[in-house]
Amino acid sequence: MDPIQINILGIPGLVLFWVVTIIAFVLFGKRITKLVKLLMGAKPENRFDNLGKRILYLFTFVLGQKRLLHEYIIGVAHFLIFWGFLLFAGTFGWNLLKWLFPFIPIPYADDIGIIRIFFVIFSVLVFISLVVATIRRVFFPPAHLQKTADAYIIITLISLVVLTTLFGIGFRAVAVGHEEASLNHADNFLFSVFSSMSADSASGLFLLMMWMHQLVVLGFLAYLPYSKHLHLLASPFGVFFSNADRVNSLDISDAKEETTAGASHWNEFTWRQLLNSFACAECGRCDRVCPALTSGFKLSPREIIHHLKEHILEAGFSSNGKKSSGDNEIRPLIGGIISEKDLWACTTCLSCMDRCPVLNEHIPVIVNMRRYLVSQGTIDNTLQDVLTKMGRYGNSMGQSDRMRAKWTTQGLDFKIKDARKEPVDYLWFVGDYASYDSRIQDITRKTAKVFQKVGLSYGILYEGERNSGNDIRRVGEEGLFDILKEKNLQAIKQSKFSTIITTDPHTYNTLKNEYILNGETNANIIHYSELYDQLVRSGQLKLNKKLNYTITYHDPCYLGRYNGIYDAPRRVLKAIGTNLVEMPRNRAKSYCCGAGGGRIWMEDEPGIKERPSESRVREAVSLTGVEALVVACPKDIVMFQDALKTTGNEGKIGIKDISDLVYEAIE
Amino acid sequence: MDIVVFLKMVPDVVEELVVADTGKSLDTQFLRMKLNDPDDYSLEEALILKEKYGGTVTVVAMEAAEVDDVLFTALAKGADRIVKIPGDWTGIQAPAIAKVLASYFSSAGRQLGPDTLVLLGSQAIDDLEGEVAPYLSEILGAPYIGVITGISLDAEKKKVSVIKEFAGGLRGEFELPLPCVIGIQAAEKPPRYVPVAKVRSIMKTAKIETVDIAPPEITSGVTIEKMFIPEAAGKAKMIEGEPEQISAQIIDLLKETGILRR
Repeated sequence: MDPIQINILGIPGLVLFWVVTIIAFVLFGKRITKLVKLLMGAKPENRFDNLGKRILYLFTFVLGQKRLLHEYIIGVAHFLIFWGFLLFAGTFGWNLLKWLFPFIPIPYADDIGIIRIFFVIFSVLVFISLVVATIRRVFFPPAHLQKTADAYIIITLISLVVLTTLFGIGFRAVAVGHEEASLNHADNFLFSVFSSMSADSASGLFLLMMWMHQLVVLGFLAYLPYSKHLHLLASPFGVFFSNADRVNSLDISDAKEETTAGASHWNEFTWRQLLNSFACAECGRCDRVCPALTSGFKLSPREIIHHLKEHILEAGFSSNGKKSSGDNEIRPLIGGIISEKDLWACTTCLSCMDRCPVLNEHIPVIVNMRRYLVSQGTIDNTLQDVLTKMGRYGNSMGQSDRMRAKWTTQGLDFKIKDARKEPVDYLWFVGDYASYDSRIQDITRKTAKVFQKVGLSYGILYEGERNSGNDIRRVGEEGLFDILKEKNLQAIKQSKFSTIITTDPHTYNTLKNEYILNGETNANIIHYSELYDQLVRSGQLKLNKKLNYTITYHDPCYLGRYNGIYDAPRRVLKAIGTNLVEMPRNRAKSYCCGAGGGRIWMEDEPGIKERPSESRVREAVSLTGVEALVVACPKDIVMFQDALKTTGNEGKIGIKDISDLVYEAIE
Repeated sequence: MDIVVFLKMVPDVVEELVVADTGKSLDTQFLRMKLNDPDDYSLEEALILKEKYGGTVTVVAMEAAEVDDVLFTALAKGADRIVKIPGDWTGIQAPAIAKVLASYFSSAGRQLGPDTLVLLGSQAIDDLEGEVAPYLSEILGAPYIGVITGISLDAEKKKVSVIKEFAGGLRGEFELPLPCVIGIQAAEKPPRYVPVAKVRSIMKTAKIETVDIAPPEITSGVTIEKMFIPEAAGKAKMIEGEPEQISAQIIDLLKETGILRR
């Protein structure tokens, strides 16, 4: 009953199997070689550092399937299919060896009882999971799930793999006979199903099942790299080479050349950026959390990644020496496959990257293409205006850089130290909106008054401060970011301090993660909400009254998702006596206000369904008894106050900065 | 086509303007210079013409603070040559500026050719009449037209036809022979954006040519008597209350001022 020792249509099974195996491996190998070659032809990027961390990623995100479990039912189903896959792939390799080289003195995997038990358990679990996945796909598809024939082909193939296993074990049990000692509970169960069969026909059917199983798996192998299920091979590499702990920086380590010109062709991306497209399973989790897409912009992070793959297959393969089939012209990536509007719609909120089960990195890809658009000068007029102003005055408002500290000259009965001239403990990097915007200045002064009342030794950079460049970088103006950074570093280095406080989470992000101040100045960088938290806990911030407001808190993207600061502001809000009611989308699921990534400087397209800020304000207003939406980012004040008006919710809820409340509590 | 664009630096009014102690000029200590906006458009129009018809764009500017950045930016945008006329040109007025610019065409290796098109901004915040271009055309003996928003070249490359904007949304089309001097009000498209990295890399590699021109004897055709910041005059009164009360007050006010008679 050895499956390889039979003749099929007069041809020895061994010969036939060798032929099929070689064909499958050649098809598989050809495609993989091509893909790897493409990756090697892309721009370099060092992702080989910190191997310990990378191995940990494999355990957490591949073996542990952590991010898949965000969507529970399909997550568990995928978890089981994945582990079933590992079992079947492992034993397939084992059996393959025995099939190809029958003289090797090892048993077949399914000759071993314990493995048969695992086979039966996982076959059943995987089959149930496939049924669940199919039902979901057909009857309850989540938004933005890419429905392709691919998925059904794969579901069918996997079903065949597990069914041939189950039936094979059953037929085997009947064929070898009930009395055989090696039978176990799993065999006995299946034995009872097929016991009416004669041993001979069971034996024949067993061989059929074995051959079908092997052929299906070989077919699967050959088909895989040509389908979206390439993710199954590429995603473990994607996870291994991800920078999940450095998503807050757009720096490319060991970039060999200038990155300012951006990318519009596959070989102008880094290899890790291309790998995103191979690792994508088109599950749509990114789309489901994308504020731009939800608002009705055309941007879909999933499609960006998928389009990159289409482009690689079109342009990458043809420039590899082989012409694309027919005389189809190769479409340009930007303007041809991906529209410019989609690229500009991204708020860089990080939700897509935060949810992606395979740790794909969408934002670096988008920013890289934005850089290309900037280098070509094809940008929105309002954005161009801001970039020009930023280049000249160092702020987006187009106000004189000499007037940056003008807010300190009104409404304050004390003078704030110039950190460049006298040493301070805390250097307060105030930021554009907090400094210049008349809607925010009052809050900025309250923050100063809190610092003053606490007796904090602090100072500001006065006209030495520039926009930090966080969003300039994300708009794709890398050269301007460099200049802003240089000028800020100059002013910072003139100053003596131990800690930098920032008002704006965007500023916080770039100072902390992209200025690399820590290495040079040993500076500690904190957000003002963290400072409040420290001051409350150390008892320096003396609260004079409890504020009994019922409030909700909005996690700014660049504070929460980007830098993991969720608890400090909540502790402060609790300490001052407010009753915090969480919005459904809180902490890592916080919904972007729509201002990030330079969106605050761009015009909204006509036909937007609901701006992100409007959706967020409605979410806050829908909570019963909530008097204020509390924020910890100056841009949020601007965005949400505006959204209150456009949604007709003015007066229903207040938009408060955390400084408003802290100031009130210590007054 | 040989396109020559003259760029002029003007005080940046984003900064606070301070009148100098002499009372006859701005205090240069607080002054920051920027490119005159219409000049930015004339550069853009020159680049558009070059893209359409070929030729070269030469950008010429008289020395001023921050003018180097402006010249390098012009080069990064696509100009072929950048030229600076060194000197301290503070306080120089339109007729004298025109003389200096005209002298540029008699400098070594340079002339007003049969295919030369001279572009300037139609006006500047310190030259609202837009005098420089007509003065220049007079000295050069070439025709002039100003407040232009579009230029096209004829097939033989001997004439240009231009669009001039008039009040009330009227437009006129004019034809001029080359060489000529044109004052640009706006280009067909807004000035293009050039990324900082590109300007920076050009600064490292390119050089600004210089052409020495002796300052003319008279630097100004007019004499400034006094420069001052207008004093706030009059006052605004906000009328508050219900619409009926407000309208009653307005009627009273109109009566008081004698505009409304019973």
